[in-house]
Amino acid sequence: MESTLTATTEETTATTPGRGRRPNPHVAQFLRTFYYLRRNGLAMFGLGVIIALILIALYALTLPIPTQSLAFYCSTNGASTCVPGTPICTYPQGVTAPGPNCYQTPVAGGVSFFPSIIPPTFDLSHFSGGPLPLGSLTIDPSHNAFFNLYDGMLRGSDWSLIISLSIVLTGAAIGAIVGAVAGTFGGLIDEVLMRLVDIFLSIPAILFVIVIIAVLQVSPVFGTFDARIGLLVIGFVVVWWPFYARIVRGQVLVVREQKYVEAARACGAGRGRIILRHILPNSVYPVFIQVSLDVGTIPLFVGTLVFLGFAVIPTSVGSGIFPEWGSITAVAVTPLIGLLTTCQFGQCIIPWWQFFFPGFALFMFAISVNFLSDGLRDALDPRLRR
Amino acid sequence: MQMWVYIVRRTLLLIPIIIGVMTITFILISALPTGLRCVSYFPIPRSGDIGPTGPCPGNPTQSNCPNPWWTHCVSVLGLNNPVPLQWATYMYNSLTFNWGTVNLNSYLSTHTEYTFMGGEPVTSALAQVLPYTLELATISLLLILVVSIPLGNLSAANRNRPIDQASRVMSFSGYALAPFLLGSLLLMAFVILIGASNGWHSLTCAASPTYLEFYHSWPANQCFPGGNPPSWLANNIVSSPTGFPTVDAAYHGQWAIAADTLIRLILPAFVIAYGSIAGLLRYVRNSMLEVMNLDFVRTARAKGVPEAIVINRHAGRNSLNVTITVLGLTFATFISGFPVTETVFGLTGVGRLLALSINIPFDYGIVFGSVLLFTYLVVAANIIVDVLYAYLDPRVRLG
Amino acid sequence: MATALPTPTTFSPDAPSLSSILPETTPGVGAAGTSPGPSAAGPAKQAVVLDVRNLKTYFYTYDGVVKALDGVSFKIRRGETVGMVGETGCGKSVTAFSVTRLISDPPGRIVGGTILYRGANVLRGIDLEAKFKPMKGSNRVKVRRSFRRVKANQERMMAVRGGGIGMIFQEPTSAMNPIFSVSNQLGEALLLHRGDEIIDAMLRATPHAPERRAVFEELVEAVRSGQPTETVRAIAKKVGDVLHSPSMATQAFYTTREAIASGRDPLPVLERNLRRLRLGRVQRSYLIQQRRLIALQNELKVSYMQEMRDGTFDHGERRSIRRRRLATRYRGGWLQIRGIRRHARRPLDEETFWRSVGLLEGIAIANPVQVARSYPHELSGGMIQRVMIAMALSANPDILLADEPTTALDVTIQAQILELMRDLKERVGTATLFITHDLAVIAEVAERVCVMYAGQVVETAPVRDLFRQPLHPYSQGLLASIPRVDQPDKQLSSIKGSVPNLITPPTGCRFHPRCAYAMPICREQRPPTTVEGVEHTVACFLYKGQVAVE
Repeated sequence: MESTLTATTEETTATTPGRGRRPNPHVAQFLRTFYYLRRNGLAMFGLGVIIALILIALYALTLPIPTQSLAFYCSTNGASTCVPGTPICTYPQGVTAPGPNCYQTPVAGGVSFFPSIIPPTFDLSHFSGGPLPLGSLTIDPSHNAFFNLYDGMLRGSDWSLIISLSIVLTGAAIGAIVGAVAGTFGGLIDEVLMRLVDIFLSIPAILFVIVIIAVLQVSPVFGTFDARIGLLVIGFVVVWWPFYARIVRGQVLVVREQKYVEAARACGAGRGRIILRHILPNSVYPVFIQVSLDVGTIPLFVGTLVFLGFAVIPTSVGSGIFPEWGSITAVAVTPLIGLLTTCQFGQCIIPWWQFFFPGFALFMFAISVNFLSDGLRDALDPRLRR
Repeated sequence: MQMWVYIVRRTLLLIPIIIGVMTITFILISALPTGLRCVSYFPIPRSGDIGPTGPCPGNPTQSNCPNPWWTHCVSVLGLNNPVPLQWATYMYNSLTFNWGTVNLNSYLSTHTEYTFMGGEPVTSALAQVLPYTLELATISLLLILVVSIPLGNLSAANRNRPIDQASRVMSFSGYALAPFLLGSLLLMAFVILIGASNGWHSLTCAASPTYLEFYHSWPANQCFPGGNPPSWLANNIVSSPTGFPTVDAAYHGQWAIAADTLIRLILPAFVIAYGSIAGLLRYVRNSMLEVMNLDFVRTARAKGVPEAIVINRHAGRNSLNVTITVLGLTFATFISGFPVTETVFGLTGVGRLLALSINIPFDYGIVFGSVLLFTYLVVAANIIVDVLYAYLDPRVRLG
Repeated sequence: MATALPTPTTFSPDAPSLSSILPETTPGVGAAGTSPGPSAAGPAKQAVVLDVRNLKTYFYTYDGVVKALDGVSFKIRRGETVGMVGETGCGKSVTAFSVTRLISDPPGRIVGGTILYRGANVLRGIDLEAKFKPMKGSNRVKVRRSFRRVKANQERMMAVRGGGIGMIFQEPTSAMNPIFSVSNQLGEALLLHRGDEIIDAMLRATPHAPERRAVFEELVEAVRSGQPTETVRAIAKKVGDVLHSPSMATQAFYTTREAIASGRDPLPVLERNLRRLRLGRVQRSYLIQQRRLIALQNELKVSYMQEMRDGTFDHGERRSIRRRRLATRYRGGWLQIRGIRRHARRPLDEETFWRSVGLLEGIAIANPVQVARSYPHELSGGMIQRVMIAMALSANPDILLADEPTTALDVTIQAQILELMRDLKERVGTATLFITHDLAVIAEVAERVCVMYAGQVVETAPVRDLFRQPLHPYSQGLLASIPRVDQPDKQLSSIKGSVPNLITPPTGCRFHPRCAYAMPICREQRPPTTVEGVEHTVACFLYKGQVAVE
């Protein structure tokens, strides 16, 4: 019962055994991880989507942010002054939008991006409100301020990324430090820090965020703070760092017992060297996985907060809608429930596009991040190695 | 004997956690502005001054005399006491369930399903709505256990086959779908389907899933199963013995209403469970995969045990131990889904109360009370999980 | 060579006969069947139980294809103990796992060879399980497996494992399931392979026999008056005979002693023990249902063995077995409702508990009741290994594969275990494949030895011939490297070089890089196995004997 494999193996056994070029172990490890990742179709799909998203976000950075506090995109009619060649018109402060083709864009918190290199290629001047293709979809016209859905989604991509990345990276940094300290020093420090982590983890995450942001909003210290986004980030970071601390501490405890640490100590390595060179690099793998997971799920939490009624926008604009995916989705979903109870059946148009597209974008972002992190976890785990 | 030692030890570890949580809420409450706290406890004076200083009684043009309302409030709430004393008072109040009162300016009285007014103790407000949340939580937990454990075992046993891929999709989409989005979409879909198939002229019945809501504000009798409301309900809700709607309806023999309430809870339970199933499913699968590589599984196979029994009995029971521990850890995330889902489906529960209280006027009594309540639930769940784990694992039970 | 071990004190002279291990009636498939006579004195041509021919097992990993076994052949005859020796990594354990197809399927695969167990090809259907596609530019291979076939083949192995080929493993502390008690796991093995006989015994028992009163009193009197254990055991056996239930003998023995030791009256205890033999209607129906299921399972095993023997597959018969099994389960469903399962199952559980106590007695464990009730984490490694041996032998297999059973234990326990295995071998007559890297153990235990190196068998010989006259340079090196106590000044010798990488093994004879006698032909061709003496074969170009016929 010989299989055709025998012929192949005979070829490979013709080479002399033993010496060969020994590749750089880091490169080899990376190649091996990437090989396993490549075999995982879902992870590759996720990676592709994330790369596409990053490119879109980078493109969105190049979109112009109006520098005035009130700016209108409008069609060519009805504006008091129009800068020729651009769709930007200016109206006096306090004047409401004149018609269905004019809408207000809120100011993005004073942060300025570099000016537009590629002008927006989408000409918005020929569309009016109503169920229309993606280009000029509008939120419910009775809303005070609304903007182009396409525009909002583009900007939302980079706002989502910025917010999640800042939350996650800060939280991970704090958590990793706390976890590493607790794990390496052990004893009383470990006990105290772990109690603290347990306390934070016992309060359900969303509730904690709600409470913190509610208090921060209302308290005299932060109430007039203009960058509401900063509040959001602070609130989330305070809630999120314990997850990382626990992960890192667990991993440090495992790594500490490994034989190579013992060998290093037997060779006479000092404590700091052991921590820096042996313990820390081997403990951060699960943090990567968790970071990638969290980057995808934070925008969902932001959306949940907005849905529950927090207004996550800078205070200097009126009651606008902040261009962030979760926020747009939440604002669009809220009137649905009311529609269901007040509409006579068959007589309402449910503006499904308003929540579907940003919701779908959120979904794709979160799920592709999940695919990727799951593929990473499978690739990095030696026990599941095939 | 060993088991009790283990349980007592684990329970003692939870005491610093409870103290820590209460300390955190204390810190947050102290960060609230005094004006807000006073306004929610004491009626606003006729003069309308709610600042620390007001017009002097003798000289109306001057306005830097201390406001008597303010000083009264500060002395009653003890806001000028030294911080440790305030902390101790807060601890004592929390442990004796003296959690303050509902904001006087609360809009909650406009919601017909809540029978409490401003000024009532927070504990009674929470006690009124807690049973609904608990019912929802029970059904959710059942759903989670029934779906994630068998499906996780199956996925691990049939690795990379269609069922594994399907469960993977389910768990990933559970992470990626926010509960508010999922809930709204499902609610819309079901309501439209039901409305379309039943030909109701309005969606009020189908879309008002609140037990109390449609019993209090029912516009027409056709919303009741059977047509007319039962007599015990029309008179006084609070006469029901336990406060749990399903149990009460069953107690009074109204099986149709009990079944109706349960059915209305399935969809919200599914939405809440979906997020937890996502995490648990992956974890069950991974722990099963680990267990299946252990030595005793190989021994069982070598003994000649049929494969199905090896997977379900030998490997499955072992991975169950680990799964239960994780279940305790995911309880906090599980609870996070309640405010949103209850708001979407309009159920009267602690979560919706919380969501209504964080907007203006900010009712910090209810907010912190419900957060504390949820934390106690998480702690209680952890204790139960520890007991279960000790019972299931003989290494802990016998030492 | 190795001196004889001192007279064993572990095996107490009053140990009961191992009749509890032997089946009472002629068992079904996969058992020895004929009388377990003592092992053959000389190289008499007894029937071959296991015939491994040209076994090839490869592991497909990221780094390449590990050719763990590359053409391994050996035979095991009825009742003989074959030792398998080699360094770590030479493929001994892989051989044992391949024989029972326990190789974890990714990454490993058995890619070639034949394994005949009593004429049945264990590797039937393995060529249809997977297709191989070598990947260009690397020494990796892509394997596409058909899960349906893999599962079917694994299910078929159930007929062979346990009852035909038993296994004991290297690490005893992790070999048992930690959440089930010892009696639970022993009982599982008993029910799987001897369930029909156990249930028959239960149904045949006569708990109401009037002579029992007299025998009970005799037993109680014997224990009270402090008679030697032998006598008490004999009386207990009489109790078992009276009640037609051998497990009652064990139970009576232990419960009487315990009752008298704690000062209680033993007679009501004995009467209470009889409760489990008095079967209610629900319990009797449950037992009959289980008996039917076991009979159907045995029929299925016969059909599987038939399929492995000559490849015929009777669809109709399989379907009929499955249908009957479903019908039995369905009809037994009312039992679950009426008699809540635990209540219906209790007599069976108690019976298997006392049978496992009897098994543990046979393994010479001092306090079998306590051990049976305990969990694996409460027992020491040596104890667990003994339990594993009992578990493997309770099914009365034809072959026992012992994969380094004593490596993880310290030397004194090792001596006890080896003594136990030797004793059991004499009484029960199971053939054994004893895998180890310790030559001293081989000298103690084995009758024939296979020496393995890097996935190939290099020499096979009767144990004395190997130690007296090793032919292959590797065996010579192994024997020469044993430190001699009587020559303290001699420098320790070792075989130069190290074990080769099995992904790119040496061409030709795999030992040639380390061989002092290497010739040019050794690099080019793999040496054939030649017969060099009575039962002595070697694979080396140094010897020009007749090529061994498979």
